[in-house]
Amino acid sequence: MSPKSAGQAVKAGYKNIQVMLAGEPAWIKAGYSTYANYGFVCRGNNVIIDLRSPEKSAAARVPRSVNMPFASFEDTYDEIPIKAPIVLYSDNEEETIAALRILQAEGYKKISLIEGGFHGWKRVGGRLVKGPVVTDVHWQRILAEGEVSLAEFEKAMKDPNEAIILDVRTRDEVSEGKIEISQHIPLDELCKEMDQFICNIKDMQKGQKIYIHCTTGARAEMAYKELKKRGYNASYLVAEVECDGNDCSIEE
Amino acid sequence: MKKNISRLVPFLIMASFLVSGCNQDTSSTVTTVKPAITTQAEKPQGPVYKGKVVGRSNKAKQISIAVGKGKDAKTIMVSFDENTTGLEHAKKGHGAIIAYEMRDGVPFATTIKQKLAKLPQGVTVISPQDVKALIDADKDFLLVDSRPGKRYSASHLPGAVSIPVCEMQELLQNLPKHKDKLLIFYCGGPT
Repeated sequence: MSPKSAGQAVKAGYKNIQVMLAGEPAWIKAGYSTYANYGFVCRGNNVIIDLRSPEKSAAARVPRSVNMPFASFEDTYDEIPIKAPIVLYSDNEEETIAALRILQAEGYKKISLIEGGFHGWKRVGGRLVKGPVVTDVHWQRILAEGEVSLAEFEKAMKDPNEAIILDVRTRDEVSEGKIEISQHIPLDELCKEMDQFICNIKDMQKGQKIYIHCTTGARAEMAYKELKKRGYNASYLVAEVECDGNDCSIEE
Repeated sequence: MKKNISRLVPFLIMASFLVSGCNQDTSSTVTTVKPAITTQAEKPQGPVYKGKVVGRSNKAKQISIAVGKGKDAKTIMVSFDENTTGLEHAKKGHGAIIAYEMRDGVPFATTIKQKLAKLPQGVTVISPQDVKALIDADKDFLLVDSRPGKRYSASHLPGAVSIPVCEMQELLQNLPKHKDKLLIFYCGGPT
């Protein structure tokens, strides 16, 4: 994207142009911070963490923010879902950076800060709320296009009329166990024999919902794209699936 | 012969000042690659798929890659095995060029290369460290985030403005009046 934009700037007559090709991920890797904009803080699908004391948080805080005082942050951060985008703020820059480092070390990937922290928020006229502090994290991942929710998937595990469950793992993996009512075809075979395979599924009807799963969601997503291309009503599950016999554990 | 070519490639890439670029969703084609410099060694042999990697499964030994533009856009499943070289370039969301051959009617990846983007004439590369130094020294320049607005919104560099690549043409007036002011563009990284 950036080389293309740079090209347009060249055409527009700009003479002094550079491109940071390594991109935003490299910026973060170099240990530098990134920032959330106002709209994302207000309305984003994220977890906002107030690192200040409970007293300060009760008196005035950024809307929707959860209080996790820095002093005890190492004991509380693991309540934040690992996949959640996080926005951190405090009135102490050093503590903000230290909390950022803790999260990065634990594998959290999407972390940004409020520019200028709490004071910066106030300076730009950011809305504040007061009242008893909030300490519970509530966050739900928004499903990507083509994804089926775990709840819907679990419904189909109990009721075959809901949807056909399609398992695209390898034969080896399936030999350890599978979801009882699922249909199985390894991903590589699916591409060659899709129509034939699906026609042979009992009670298969046109437009029938098909929920695809594997062990993480990666193969399921690939299978989904293939099925969708051929006009099937498919969606895929992003979750860790592990089976022992017909006993399967599914975790988001 | 094949070995000689692969040994030459890194050198040729350096020699041609080719640098890896950012996600370019729109520039995928199924045609053979046009190398930036015309040497025999740069040309992949046989047919290639060029585009953005949608996914890779090591268990199923499959890569799914999005190729083609507009009406012709499609995703293709390519198989691979332990003899496929450059598998590390088949990373989800990254641009790749997959040279393949047909085996039993199925495309089979032989060599995978990173899709390279060329910088426009006169444009140079800057490292994150150097950008940080410019920010810390309070230098006068405009930092432009070329990613979609949503990505910018969630996490951007300090002081950056959002001009998504697709809206660049309409938003050109947002760039500084003085044409010799320093502009620095960034996006989601090399692909």
